Amino acid sequence: MQSSISNPLRLGLRQERVIPPQCLVIFGASGDLTHRKLIPALFELFLQRRLPSEFAIVGCARRPWSDEEFKEKMRLKLCDKISSHEQEWTKFTEFLFYEPVDLQEESHVKRLSQRLIEIDRLKATHGNKTFYLSVSPNFYEGGCKSLKNVGLLDDPIKSRIVIEKPFGRDYSSARKLNKIVQSCANESQIYRIDHYLGKETVQNILVLRFANTIFEPIWNRNYISNIQITSSETVGVEDRAGYYETSGALRDMLQNHLTQMLAVIAMEPPGKFDPEAIRNEKAKVLQASKLANEIEPWNCCIRGQYEEGGNYDNPLKGYRDENGVGKNSTTETYIATKIFIDNWRWQGVPFYLRTGKRLPKRLGEIVLTFKDVPVHLFESTIINPAPNQLIIRIQPDEGATFKFEVKSPGSGMRSRPVEMEFSYDESFGEPSDEGYVRLLADSMLGDPTLFTRSDEVEAAWKLYTPLIELMENAPWKLPVHKYESMTWGPPESDQLLAKDNIFWRRP
Amino acid sequence: MKPQLTLQTPLELPAHEIPNYLKKLWISKDELDSGANTFSLIVWQPSWLEQCFVKSKLINGPITGYLTEEIITAAKKLILENGLPLATPLQSRELIDLLNKNIFDDSFEDLRGQFFESSISTLNPRRIITLAPTIQDKHDIKTFVSAYCPLSDEIRDQTICGDLVVFRGSIRSIVTEGLKIIEKLSIDDLPSWLWWNGSLDDSPEIFDYFSKEGKRLIIDTANGSSERCIDILTKALKSKRAINDLNWVRLKSWRESLAMIFDPPSRRNLLEHITQIDVDIEGDNMVQALFLISWISDKLNWQLVEAKKENEITLIKFKRDNGDYILTSINPMPIGNPSIHSGQVIGLRLISKVSKDPKKNTCIILGSESAECMRLEAGGMADMHLIEEVVPSFLMSSEADVSKLLASSRGDTSPLFENSINITSKIFKILKF
Repeated sequence: MQSSISNPLRLGLRQERVIPPQCLVIFGASGDLTHRKLIPALFELFLQRRLPSEFAIVGCARRPWSDEEFKEKMRLKLCDKISSHEQEWTKFTEFLFYEPVDLQEESHVKRLSQRLIEIDRLKATHGNKTFYLSVSPNFYEGGCKSLKNVGLLDDPIKSRIVIEKPFGRDYSSARKLNKIVQSCANESQIYRIDHYLGKETVQNILVLRFANTIFEPIWNRNYISNIQITSSETVGVEDRAGYYETSGALRDMLQNHLTQMLAVIAMEPPGKFDPEAIRNEKAKVLQASKLANEIEPWNCCIRGQYEEGGNYDNPLKGYRDENGVGKNSTTETYIATKIFIDNWRWQGVPFYLRTGKRLPKRLGEIVLTFKDVPVHLFESTIINPAPNQLIIRIQPDEGATFKFEVKSPGSGMRSRPVEMEFSYDESFGEPSDEGYVRLLADSMLGDPTLFTRSDEVEAAWKLYTPLIELMENAPWKLPVHKYESMTWGPPESDQLLAKDNIFWRRP
Repeated sequence: MKPQLTLQTPLELPAHEIPNYLKKLWISKDELDSGANTFSLIVWQPSWLEQCFVKSKLINGPITGYLTEEIITAAKKLILENGLPLATPLQSRELIDLLNKNIFDDSFEDLRGQFFESSISTLNPRRIITLAPTIQDKHDIKTFVSAYCPLSDEIRDQTICGDLVVFRGSIRSIVTEGLKIIEKLSIDDLPSWLWWNGSLDDSPEIFDYFSKEGKRLIIDTANGSSERCIDILTKALKSKRAINDLNWVRLKSWRESLAMIFDPPSRRNLLEHITQIDVDIEGDNMVQALFLISWISDKLNWQLVEAKKENEITLIKFKRDNGDYILTSINPMPIGNPSIHSGQVIGLRLISKVSKDPKKNTCIILGSESAECMRLEAGGMADMHLIEEVVPSFLMSSEADVSKLLASSRGDTSPLFENSINITSKIFKILKF
C-alpha cells in the first residue's frame, strides 16, 4: 500500500487497545526475523504510543552480546527506519536488553529466569511475559520444555509463547509437537503465528462478509461457481535454499497461508466476535475440507519448479542452479490444488489454490466467481456475458473489485463487463501496519483471534496428507513440471482447471 | 449490560477495621494471591437525584446509584411541570432543590456500591471503593465490605477476584472519617482511578483531596459549570496529573466521522481551505463543542485570534499559516427531548472555499439526525458540493463509557485531549474577560 500525505484529523485517533505492562523475550534475537520484522514492528508500536512505559524486550541468542551490543546491532540494522526518528529510537532502546541463552541448556534458561526477575523489578512489568520463539522448529520442543522446567510458563495468565511457522512437517509431527507444547503450557498460552492473518485485507474478509448484509446470502454453492486463491512471488528461493529444500511450496505456503485464507473465506459466521468462536468456525471448515480426489490425489494437484528465464539483460537462474539447491532437486516451487468442502454451504464448489515462486507478479488475491445467469437475454460484446466476480486483493494494492455486466452504450442491447472498485489507498490513503505489528500487539494483549489453534493446524496438515504421502512414497505420480521463470506456472496447472471448463484468472 | 451483584451480602464493619480485614481476605492457604492484578477504582457516587426521588416517594427504591429510565422520565416530567428550561441538566442544583422541598421519608434501602455494571466487572477491578454521600447531614459513616469473583464467558484456570468497599454517610462524615481510611486502602503497584460520578460543582474539598493524591481522574464535564470544569482540566494539566473526561470520550464518534470524510486523499485539499465552522449543541454547556473546535484547530495548526459572545452564540476566530481567517461559531439549539448529558454536539458544518464560484466549494455537514442535517443545509448550502453524514448519538450509560475508557486508557492524559484542553482554556479565558 502506498503512503500518501496523512490525514491530519486521523492522527492519534487510532489508539485503541493498550498493551499491558509486559516483558517480551525473543529467542533467536541474532536472527534475520528479529531485525527484519520483530524489532521494526515493536518500534512502530512504540511510535504509535501503544507500548506501555512498563515494558521490556529481552533479546536471547547464543551469541555473547551485551545489552549495549544488542542495541547497537539493532540500530545498525534499522538505520533507514530510525533516521527520521532518532530521539524516539533512543527512548525505545531503554526497553532493550540482551541475555546470551542456548535454549537447549537448562542452566542458561535458569540464568535467564533470574535476569527476568531483575528486569521485571526494574521496568515494573508486573510479571507479564511473552516468549517469542524465533528459532528453528527443531528447538521448539527443547525450548518449551526448558521454559516449563524453570517455571517460566507456570502462570497461565501472565505468560505465553509465540511460535513461528512451520508448525510440524506433516499431520503426525504437528500432533506430536502440539502434545509437547501443550504439556508445557495451556492452549490458551500458545500463539501460533501466521503473518498472513495479520494482513489488513485478510481481516477485512471477516468484515466484508459479516458486517454487510448483501454478501452473506449469496456466499454459498447456490450462487458461487468456484473460488480461486492465489499467492505468487516474483522472487526465487534467494538465500533460503537450506530451508526451502526441506519444505517446498506445499509446506512453506499452501498448508499455512493459503489454507488460512481458505478458512477465512469459507467459514460459517461465528455467533459472536470472540477468539474462540472464530477459531471454532475456522477449525470446522478445515475439518470439512478435502482434496478433490483423495483416492487419486495426482488428479487434483500440480507441482512445478521454475527453470531459467528472464531476458538478455536480466537472466534468471533456474531453481536447480540456485546456491544450495541440489542438481536433481525435486522440491516444488509451485503448487496448485483443487479442494472441496463437505458442508451444506460449499458442497460441490471447487476451491483452487495456487502458489509459486518466480511468477510474473507478486500478489495475493481471492477470486469468487459467481454462477452464470440462467438465460442469456442479451447479446454480449464478447462471446458470452462474463460471470460476476468478486476479487479480493490481499497484496499489493489492497482492495476489492466487483465485476458485473452493464449495457454497452449505443443502439441495441449488448452487454459488457465493467468493474466496481474499492482501494484501500483511495479510500484511506494511509499505509496499513505490517502484519507483525498487529500480531505482536495481539499476542501481548492476550488476543488469540488471529493465531491458529492446535486443531486448525492439525486439520490443515490432515487436508494435505494424501499429497504429502504421495510425494514421499510415489513421487513419480506427482511429478514436478518445469516452468519458465516469470510465467504463471506449468501449463499442466491450466489443465487442472480446464477439465472443469474454468481458467485461472490472469491478474 | 446488567449490573452484577456480589455473591455475599456486604459485611458492615467499623471503618478502622476494614484495612486489616481486607489484608486477611487476600492471604490464601496456598500462598497464591488470587486477587486481580489490575487496578483500583474509587467512585464518587452521590446520586442526589435518585435519593431525592426515592425519598419523595416519586419513584420506588432501593437506591442503586444507576441513572435508570424511570429516573430520567421522572426528572424530565418535573422539569416540564416546573417550567424549567428543557435542557436543564439532571445533576443541576435547581432540580435537586425542587425535590428537596418534598422529602418526607428517610427509611429506604441504599445499595450504592454493592453491585456494579458488568461492563466494568469484566475488567476485573481489584478494588472498588464507593463513596456514597447521603442527602442528610446527620448520617454517621457506615462502611461495608465484600469480596466478588465476576463470572466470565472466558475459560480461565483461575478465578480473578476483587473486593468492594462502601462508605455511606454525610459528606462531613466522609471527609472527616472516610478519607483517612481510604489512604490505607490503596494497593501498592496497582494504578488507582477516581471516577467522579456526579457534578463537578459538588464537594470540591473531596475532589481536590483525590486530585492531590495523584489518582488518575475520570470526570464528566457535561456535569458542572463550564468555569469549574475548565479550571479542573487546566489544573490537572499544569500539575501533570492524568485526567480523562467522559464528555471527550463521547465526542469520539464526531471526531471519527469527521476524520473519515477526509480519509480519501482526493479530499485532503479541502482542509487547507476551511473558512467557516458551525457547531450546534443542546443547551448552553459549550465545553464539548469547545473541545471539538479546539481539536480541529490543533490538528490543522490554526492560531487562535479572538473569541466573543454575541447573545447566545459564541464566535471564535482562528488564523491559518497563510494568513487566512477561519470563523467558528457555537450555537445552542432548543431541543424537545435533550440528552441526559448537557451540551452534547448535535451538528457540525464545515465550509471549504477554494473559489468564488460556490459550485466549486464544499460544505460538509454532520448531524446527529436527518432533521439537523436539513437545518444545516439551509442558507444556500446546496449551492456548494455537499458531503453529508448522519452521526447517530448512541449514548451509552456512564458506566459503559468508563469501562471503555479504562480498557483503552494508557493511564496518562491523551495527547489529543491535552492539546484540546490547552486551546479550550485559552478560548475560555478570552471569553471570560
